[in-house]
Amino acid sequence: MWDIIAVDISGRHRIEGGYYMVCAAAALTVSADHIEKVKQVKILPVWLKRAPGLLDVVQLIEDTANQLSFEGTIVAEKGDMYNQPLWVPESMFSRPFKYQESMAERRAIELAHHISLSARNLLIKELNIEA
Amino acid sequence: MPAEKKTETESRVVLVKRTNPRADPERSEYLFEELRELARAAGYVPVGQLTQTRFPDSRYQLGKGKIEELAELVKQRRAGKVIFYNRLSTIQLFNISEICGCQVIDKFQLILEIFAKRATTRRSKLQVELARLRYEIPRARAIVSLVKKEERAGFMGLGDYEDAYEQDLKKRITRIEEELESAGKDDESLRAFRHRKGFSLVALAGYTNAGKSTLFNAIVDESVEAQNMLFTTLVPTTRALDLGGRKALLTDTVGFIEELPHWLVDAFKSTLDEIFLSDLILLVVDVSERPDIILQKLSTSHDTLWDRIQGVPVITVLNKIDLLEESELEAVMEEIGYMAPNPVFVSAKKKIGMQELKAEITKHLPAWSFYSFSLPNSEKGMSILSWLYDEGIVHRVEYGEQISVDYEAREDIINRIKSLELGPDE
Repeated sequence: MWDIIAVDISGRHRIEGGYYMVCAAAALTVSADHIEKVKQVKILPVWLKRAPGLLDVVQLIEDTANQLSFEGTIVAEKGDMYNQPLWVPESMFSRPFKYQESMAERRAIELAHHISLSARNLLIKELNIEA
Repeated sequence: MPAEKKTETESRVVLVKRTNPRADPERSEYLFEELRELARAAGYVPVGQLTQTRFPDSRYQLGKGKIEELAELVKQRRAGKVIFYNRLSTIQLFNISEICGCQVIDKFQLILEIFAKRATTRRSKLQVELARLRYEIPRARAIVSLVKKEERAGFMGLGDYEDAYEQDLKKRITRIEEELESAGKDDESLRAFRHRKGFSLVALAGYTNAGKSTLFNAIVDESVEAQNMLFTTLVPTTRALDLGGRKALLTDTVGFIEELPHWLVDAFKSTLDEIFLSDLILLVVDVSERPDIILQKLSTSHDTLWDRIQGVPVITVLNKIDLLEESELEAVMEEIGYMAPNPVFVSAKKKIGMQELKAEITKHLPAWSFYSFSLPNSEKGMSILSWLYDEGIVHRVEYGEQISVDYEAREDIINRIKSLELGPDE
């Protein structure tokens, strides 16, 4: 069993007035092919006036993961890091970081994606944000 | 469309790869070696190679100077073809072949060539044709535009040829898709029939050249073609697998490869469904390779499988253990454990670990239930008993006034026995 923090960001496209992004971080215990336990989930929304860069994305993920009382490797999709080679984001994070590899990690990212997307949709509706 | 025999010039090829700056050099070399293997599998003889580290050039993929160097190399080595590792746009293909004066293809066209060469059944030929047409579609317009550059527009020009070409491709794609879809329905009903007859379906999956066919031969005592070559298996082969009473069918399938484009995966959907719709997957890995390469291949396999197999259990079959010391094997497992569900160690070539593998397969097959009951000791009871032997495992049978049976079978068989109102043995 391995402890991971699966992360995903929704809303990296421009809307009225800037970028409204929501990051989801799910603290999980996984085996090679299954999510064995979901320990905690945290979300963090952020407004940006300009297009987000890699540093913004790393910062948002770190801030979301820091809300979890859980030690684990942060796992993200390569696309979330603008398809940079692993060493680039790895050197920016203060925690262990990796791209998804195993079936369980891919399923974990999928879970985080559903959480971030539905949380963002809900927030946009509740806060009357022009999407 | 089987590949015709190549002339000596046609078979001589120069291999080319552009590497991104800061890419891992060891990994780049490994990917280049894979391209060499692919070229050999297609019947080519690599006579030269060229690499360049840079970001892609939109017109030539490499720098113009490097392409001129490539043209010189082609001439010098009397090569008939250039094969690029990188995916090439139509413009790049056209520009490079203009300068080199020979045919230029990329890795994906090479894979298609191999598939075409190996396609023996009507279905696999259709799948190859479908993949080729899907590959062609985005290029159709560009190809015609390039040809038209030399033509005069309007009267006596190509006119509507551009649209006609694309339309023709689309029509052919639709026709093949329909034919493959009806073949797919046959597959579905065959799978359902096999399930009804009590067979569990087990599929061999894994990176190309991991030893799937050798393992298939070792475990079912068969002799399907197995070679130290990429993509030897293209047509799935299914055989009965003896698991000491449990009936299972094992299917050998086409291997995976890194960066296999989705249009190729889609074209081979009906073949890959043999894996995705099975009850259990044996993911075969060559454990004698370097751990980082094993991880990369496992990652490719997991990527192909993860969202298509729902809850199907996966057994990781670590093949070729005869090439490693026990301490080496432990070290490898330390590194790859997080990517290897339910690991089993075997050597297909030396037939080591076959019993352990069969035990692991039995453990992960859909659950069967035990049931004890009595049958009338009559002709009808005997015919039911004979049917029971066909459908499950008879653990104990005692003949007295009645026939007492301890039995193990699928849930639906047990329910049918119960519906015959044969009370349990108290």
